[in-house]
Amino acid sequence: MSWWTWTRRRLRVLFDKESLEHEMDEEMRFHLEMEIRQHVAAGVDPKEARRRALVAFGGVERHKEEARDVRGARILDDLVQDTRIALRSFAKQPGFVVTAVATLGIGIGGSVAMFGVLEASLFQSLPYPDSEELVLGRVTRSGQSGWVVSGRDWIDYRAEADAFASLAAVTPFDISHTAQGVGDAHRVRAMYVSPEIFATLGVTPLIGRDFVPEDGHAGAEPTAMLDHAYWERWHGSDPELIGQALSINGLPVRVAGVLPPDFRVLKDVDVYPVFHEDERWATARQFHNFLLIGRLGPGGTVGGAQAEVDGISGRLAEAYPRTNEDKGLELTPLREALIEDYRTVLGMLVAAVALVLLIACANVAGLLLARGNARAAELSVRSVMGAGRGRLGRQLLTENAILALGAGAVGIALATWLQRGIVAFVSMDQLGPIQPGLSASTLAFGCALCFLTVLGFGAIPAWRVARVGNSIALRGGTRATSDRSSTAFRRALVIGQVALTVVLLAGSGLLVRSFTALRAVDPGFDTERLLTAEVTIPNDAYPDDVATTRFFAELIDRLEVSPAVSDVGLATLLPIRDPGNDVSVSTPDAYGLGGEPTAFQRSVWPGYFDAMGIQILAGRDVERTDTPGATSVIVLSEQAASSVFGDDDPIGRTVAVDVGRDEPELREVVGIVSDIVTSNLEWGVSGAMYYPFHQRPSRSMRLAVRSSDAEATIASIVREELRALDPGVPLSAIATMDDVISGSVADRKAVMTVIGLFSSVAVLLALVGLYGVLAYQVTRRRREIGVRIALGAQRDQVARGVLRSGLRLAGIGLAVGVVAAVGATTLMQSWLYEVGSLDPITYLGVAVFVFAVTSVACFVPARRATRVDPVMAFRGE
Amino acid sequence: MAQPRADLLQGSLDLLILKTLAVEPMHGWGVSKQIQLLSRGTLEVNQGSLYPALYRLRDRGLIESEWGVAENGRRVKVYELTKKGRAALRTEQEGWRLFADAVDLILSTAEEGAR
Repeated sequence: MSWWTWTRRRLRVLFDKESLEHEMDEEMRFHLEMEIRQHVAAGVDPKEARRRALVAFGGVERHKEEARDVRGARILDDLVQDTRIALRSFAKQPGFVVTAVATLGIGIGGSVAMFGVLEASLFQSLPYPDSEELVLGRVTRSGQSGWVVSGRDWIDYRAEADAFASLAAVTPFDISHTAQGVGDAHRVRAMYVSPEIFATLGVTPLIGRDFVPEDGHAGAEPTAMLDHAYWERWHGSDPELIGQALSINGLPVRVAGVLPPDFRVLKDVDVYPVFHEDERWATARQFHNFLLIGRLGPGGTVGGAQAEVDGISGRLAEAYPRTNEDKGLELTPLREALIEDYRTVLGMLVAAVALVLLIACANVAGLLLARGNARAAELSVRSVMGAGRGRLGRQLLTENAILALGAGAVGIALATWLQRGIVAFVSMDQLGPIQPGLSASTLAFGCALCFLTVLGFGAIPAWRVARVGNSIALRGGTRATSDRSSTAFRRALVIGQVALTVVLLAGSGLLVRSFTALRAVDPGFDTERLLTAEVTIPNDAYPDDVATTRFFAELIDRLEVSPAVSDVGLATLLPIRDPGNDVSVSTPDAYGLGGEPTAFQRSVWPGYFDAMGIQILAGRDVERTDTPGATSVIVLSEQAASSVFGDDDPIGRTVAVDVGRDEPELREVVGIVSDIVTSNLEWGVSGAMYYPFHQRPSRSMRLAVRSSDAEATIASIVREELRALDPGVPLSAIATMDDVISGSVADRKAVMTVIGLFSSVAVLLALVGLYGVLAYQVTRRRREIGVRIALGAQRDQVARGVLRSGLRLAGIGLAVGVVAAVGATTLMQSWLYEVGSLDPITYLGVAVFVFAVTSVACFVPARRATRVDPVMAFRGE
Repeated sequence: MAQPRADLLQGSLDLLILKTLAVEPMHGWGVSKQIQLLSRGTLEVNQGSLYPALYRLRDRGLIESEWGVAENGRRVKVYELTKKGRAALRTEQEGWRLFADAVDLILSTAEEGAR
């Protein structure tokens, strides 16, 4: 027999069972017939002949089984058969299947998606060679972790510390510049770096040369590295560009090389110019503009490097007490530093997903149990007819496995989609180089999860059912007494579900309350119909302050006459959109004594306060007459003024502002304006000080334009005016103030939405679970209820009994849940705004809500109980 | 599975079936009757072993089955020896002879020893 015939026969055994079975039937029937005929021929009575033949033959079914065994592939055969039985029985109960698969699918999908994000953020190594040697250096003040480091301090750390193979500095924010070289003027995002950055990260340019230390020296020719995507997009991957000069903000900057594709340092930017060690913002000890990235030397440890750095910090504090007292440098493994902002968020999401999965599993377990009980009769019959207990167990496990497979497929499909949502929602900018995705290990996790759900929540019911199946035998159909224990089990499941749901609801309730409180914060200025944008003019076309001032004066004039525009404000930094730096400000006497108050600083064009809806409380606005030649003036916000002068009248007094030189800048206070939120809603209002633009001009300004009516397409008007004025100046980073503010709380909103979504799913699942238990209970007790009604029990009394038993479950669940939630929500304290983790309103709300929805879930079965017709109940059995 | 008369060794049933079919193709019932007949009623093939054995032999490619018509006009499956089956019959027959002789030998020595 050829392999082909063999294979065909095996396949036929598996898939063409029916005709094979038929053949076997026919053959055996023929055999019997011949036997009978022989007996009859021998003169036996036909009836007796038949009996003898049958006795001689033995159990027909048993022989068939034996014959089937011979055909081989018994296990496979059973599997196919079990699968068929399962599918057939599923087809009869589509509701059950859809519920189970969807429920588990949601649980598995959420978990797999979260695992993918977690895996990408926590476990994948950074895309740099030997990335475990990389550390991030951030400033500490009085032992408190801070952020950016002073450029001057960095130079000292780099020179003195031996623990590092190299120590680089980068600006943590991207700075927007206008570039011109080949083609149009365009906006580029720049990150200033020290020359050793790429060597530290272990990357060599795709083409061109790496930076050399001399590139960062004072007076060296400006040099920059290009991002691959930018080079491709804007310069058509032109290799000729290497060694050429690009004009960035009007300054010629020589292109050293192009980085490999998909490489980035913390952020996605277009160009990496080298900063010179003598630039003021890089050299002042009181200006903190850099994050340090270091690579530890061979065999070096973070602890060892930290000890050495602490020593250097101590020496710096002694040498420069005014700027370096209590200042230190904190080293953190780079990966750890990158994820720390997301730890709480990820933790909350993981917890939420895990809770939903648990609830889903509990639900499916409940469903399987109920189904198992309902099938007890069928299973008993099969058991009596000769199906082994193992065989029945295998059958149930096969059914569960099919459910789990379906759920797994749904889950993994859902996961890809959900993960995209999570990553898009919870922006993980800082994670920079990390790219989440459905990796092999994520898929493996999904499969393992499926397997576990089958084992954990399929095996228990399967085992119970197999046991029950034998014990109740054919006695009482579904009304067996031994399912009492499984009912207790289901009740426990429901209590658990309600409790878990309460935890989720409390968590999401707190987030919603925080978010509402945050959105209710008054920013202190009018955000309506306010468009913001960035205008940066190049150095070569506008070489001095006069040209710069003239350009912006003309732009403002042009915009103000436009009928679509009601107000125009111009400032170096706009509130919330660009927080900027706060610097110390004090009376000249108090300056340098330490502990000076700080305020956010910006230069503003006259009329800015009016345009923004910031009130001038005393004195005057800055004016066009506040020129460099005139008295140096400043406008303070109320809070800044009172922190400097207390209750004294600040108008006419002089303040000393730290501008990064040895001597402070002295300015006369001419006005007091109302406080606004400068950096973000969570921090609330903070002190601000405003210089007159004419005394501190800048080429990079932010426009705030309010349109006269909501419909106006103001952006295009602004762009046209700008183009008419100078086509070489781009308008960039356009956003309405409303969008800016929404964007500033987008992370919170996303987390709130995701957790809220999970909570809704949890509520739904828990309700289905509760409903299921009660409905089943009513069905099971129908006879009893019928008897009671027949004996004169009031129908609403019966209903109340059902309602009470349901609400008791919900009540216990609620109590357990509240206790658990109190513990769990303290962990999310850092994400709450103006709401305590024990917020009574939230808890009360959750309790009322849970009570209300569970009542509804109990009400339906309760009502059904009252409809029990005593006659039908008796007859039904 | 208590056998009423002589116990058939697994291998020996296969051999008997092959031998029976070597004479002429026949159906399952025919095979069982033929064995009974040839053994003069000593060997009765249990149907529960007969059909599995037939399927097993067919799966090994030693016999083939075809639908035919029985004496009473019923459709019936008729088994036939294949080329491979004939070869197998020869070797198995020889093997059986060797085995039977060996068993005979042992039995006779054992009797002597007992004496």
